[in-house]
Amino acid sequence: MNTHHPDQLLLLSQAAGRLDAGASLVLATHIEMCPGCRAQMRELEALGGVLLDQIEPVELAAGAFSRTLERIDAAASFAPRPPARVKATRPDLPAGLQWPHSLDGCSISPWHRIGPDMRWSRVDLPQQRDARVFLLRMGAGRMLAAHTHSGREVTQVLYGAFEDGRAAWHAGDFDEADETIHHRPQVTADGECICLVALQGPLRFDGLLARALGAWMGI
Amino acid sequence: MGMNTLTAPLPLSLRLDAQVARRPAPGHLSVMSSPSRPSRMPTPDELSAWIRAVADPGDRAAFAALFRHFAPRIKAFLMRGGADAALAEELAQEAMVNVWRKAASFDPARAQASTWVFTIARNLRIDYARRGLDGAREQSAGDAADELTDELADAAPTPPEQLAAGQIEHGVREALGKLPEDQALLLRLSFYEEQPHADIAKALSIPLGTVKSRIRRAMEQLRRALGHLQP
Ligand SMILES: [Zn+2]
Repeated sequence: MNTHHPDQLLLLSQAAGRLDAGASLVLATHIEMCPGCRAQMRELEALGGVLLDQIEPVELAAGAFSRTLERIDAAASFAPRPPARVKATRPDLPAGLQWPHSLDGCSISPWHRIGPDMRWSRVDLPQQRDARVFLLRMGAGRMLAAHTHSGREVTQVLYGAFEDGRAAWHAGDFDEADETIHHRPQVTADGECICLVALQGPLRFDGLLARALGAWMGI
Repeated sequence: MGMNTLTAPLPLSLRLDAQVARRPAPGHLSVMSSPSRPSRMPTPDELSAWIRAVADPGDRAAFAALFRHFAPRIKAFLMRGGADAALAEELAQEAMVNVWRKAASFDPARAQASTWVFTIARNLRIDYARRGLDGAREQSAGDAADELTDELADAAPTPPEQLAAGQIEHGVREALGKLPEDQALLLRLSFYEEQPHADIAKALSIPLGTVKSRIRRAMEQLRRALGHLQP
């Protein structure tokens, strides 16, 4: 049972469809891994359904129904396209760890080395090319350079655990940080850690070297 | 066509008077001029039966009934979210095309009809925001194919957590009805508006800084009314 869950407001924004693509992907990954948040999301979507029923309707223009039928007939004459699923090449994962289904439509780059025992992979979202989403894979005890954020940073731990002085996050846990949080995440001693991260704006690293590296990674 | 332009949000006074839940307006769509039909809210079971009839055997009368209930609501939902009338009209039709296309993957054990249609309309709004009108259409055509493969993959028995879609929607409806009006309003605006937090601050004349805690309290209240124990 994991202990760090997304804030209620983040779940609400997800249900209402108001999150950017990157944060939405990371949240979907958490929901996939967390039965409790999955149950809450079902309630919030049901709330969306109830609110749709209760909204004051706005009539459509005359002929809207027959135009819709025409579109359906026109679409039926095309064979459905094969689903655009990009699963082809995937970087390796530790034995026993599966890719979450939330990443099915994404293309994921090979692991790039960014330091001793530290690797990074870019996640490309078909629906938003400029989203800053990536995977970070670091060995036991490794530490990410100290940084703060410009905008929201959301993280889902896929494997292993890290801590940053605030608390410890384990596989299945979710974290949200913003410009008020300055931290230096460190992988726990038990083993390596893999996280899925989405950034709203670039990270602000303290050190020059880390800053240059961040710029190269596009984060 | 200049349809992919979002208008400035309506003046708040105009939007706020449209927020009270009412029964559907008596005006019917011109195409479904069946004067004998009373204009009452269809039950969730009726809506489900119509969607199943659309899936098989492609029943157009059932689709017309769904259209009459949902299309004007989807249009309203999109307009509240910042779309102008022409764009909302266009996307509402597209959403109903998706209802037709995806009807076969509708599973009332997973989500009730209104919830299912809400997610279709919401996803279309997301696709439009990210990719524009053509992108949204393309995406929804691709989704329809995905749904089909998902359905084949999901032949496994439904896990227990998914057994109670009807109870969830019913419970949420009741719980929402028990909330004080200002809390229900907070939740409505959170779903409808394009800039929920800013809009809520304006609508309730409260500082932006307290909006989040107010929404959080409304959500806790809803969960309490749903029977969850929350401090
Ligand atoms: Zn959770």
